[in-house]
Amino acid sequence: MAMKAKSPTRPIWSGRISLGLVNIPVRLYTMMRDESFSFRYVRKDDACPLKYQRVCTLDKEVVDWEDVARGYEVRKGEFVVFSNEELEALRPSSDGRINIDKFVPFASVDRIYFDKSYILAPDKSEDAYGLLLSALRELGMAAVGKFTMRTKEYPALVHEYRDALVLTTLRYSYEVVDPRDMEELKGVLEPSDEELDLATKIIENLSGDFDIAEYRDEFRDRVEELVEKKMQGETFVVEEPKGEEVKELMEALQETLKQLQAK
Amino acid sequence: MMERLTRVKFTNLDKVMYPRLRVTKTQVIEHYIKLAPRMLEFLRGRIVVTTRFPDGIDGEGFYEKDTPRGTPEWVETFKRYSETADREINYIICNDLDTLLWLANLAALEIHIALSKAEAYEEPDIVLFDLDPERPAGFSEAAEVALSLKDKLNALGFKVFVKTSGKKGLHVTMPIERGYSFHQTREFVHQFGRHLSRENPMVVSERSQSQEPGKIYIDYLQNSSGRTMICPYSLRAEEGATVSTPLHWGELKGLDPEKLNVFSVSKRKKDPWDGFWEERQRLEVG
Repeated sequence: MAMKAKSPTRPIWSGRISLGLVNIPVRLYTMMRDESFSFRYVRKDDACPLKYQRVCTLDKEVVDWEDVARGYEVRKGEFVVFSNEELEALRPSSDGRINIDKFVPFASVDRIYFDKSYILAPDKSEDAYGLLLSALRELGMAAVGKFTMRTKEYPALVHEYRDALVLTTLRYSYEVVDPRDMEELKGVLEPSDEELDLATKIIENLSGDFDIAEYRDEFRDRVEELVEKKMQGETFVVEEPKGEEVKELMEALQETLKQLQAK
Repeated sequence: MMERLTRVKFTNLDKVMYPRLRVTKTQVIEHYIKLAPRMLEFLRGRIVVTTRFPDGIDGEGFYEKDTPRGTPEWVETFKRYSETADREINYIICNDLDTLLWLANLAALEIHIALSKAEAYEEPDIVLFDLDPERPAGFSEAAEVALSLKDKLNALGFKVFVKTSGKKGLHVTMPIERGYSFHQTREFVHQFGRHLSRENPMVVSERSQSQEPGKIYIDYLQNSSGRTMICPYSLRAEEGATVSTPLHWGELKGLDPEKLNVFSVSKRKKDPWDGFWEERQRLEVG
């Protein structure tokens, strides 16, 4: 497996960075990829792939999508029901803009609020894009604002990273727990000077440069290795065609090839 | 031995595609092998859109425009921006037997073709009168309308062809010379629809009327950029494993389209659409 994630080929959103009167058309590309191994559920004996069905918990009948609504459980077993249309009406719709409210020193933003990052690419706006990029780099500043993708609104940061503008969505303050509120952390003691001295020496001895490439998901590697092995030995799905069938297909094929050559 | 005949590796040949008739993938592939020489006349150089049923027609089917993951590198493709999908789509071009068989092996039961070649995307070379009966009207009523449409077109000097849609409808088509726009072919069909609807109360020519019971709608809107027609000799994902079958005009009366299926169509000795492309016409009316 390569150490770098593959570049995306299609934007997932396009619009404009909107700074008051100035607009910079951009395309948003995925930057984070989930590379954990994914399996499909299949039947044990013959690897027949399984699918999910929505089943009524009372009469066990399968329910069609068109009969599905969303319920919010207000008390145990008691729901208020929303139709899809009702929910759609509530959702924000994208105005195609990343609306910038202000600029802040990038280093001053607490990284704990960083959620997901996306690459912003210029959309026939190389000049304006380059200008914003250089100005942010020069000043070490980031733009703060919000934008709507699909049907969700996100607070976001636009900042420079490796010669590109990167958009990082942020978590809301009420989505992050403050460790100072944890009871267990209130009894942590200050060490003595000798203890602290020893501890810092150990740390210094073990210090080095940070390199994320030193880490890999070893479970994934092991599964991948086993997939390779299984592919040589026992695969389930690809049934070897039976003799009779193949013979028929081959005869038909020979006939067709003859006809096509004659043309 | 098979490797010497085709680059396609067939898989899951026993899988039942049409449960009611117990038609397996082997039989589907065999159908496409046998009809490939006739189908390729219509497939070459055009983008195709498929309807795939990996688990047979009772399972989930999906409409596929894009090249699927794992497309072999020998399959030809054509990139084009799709307005409906709002992104660039890498369409499949089925230029040879192997690509057709590869599609069949992917359980692409239905193969639809564009009415223009990829290289001249906005210039149709087929005009399509899509005759769509609404119940209680059915195939025999559609056949009646097709015949009167044929008389009209013949009287003006046009040569026209007919095939079953593989469902209840009929496709009346004519090959045309390049250089016309979809707007022109669409209007051409629309005019004939209107004309016929004035003479025959069973015919309707407007989309808003297409659901009226007992009517035959002449769908002119199919003559649009990006729209497709079921390819001649393609299977349909219908219970009876029916085939969109080219016909001689004389066969229309009393025909049961259900009998034109995966078992019978490959045994038809003659191709009623033989020589189709030698009949390219100009759309000018007298």
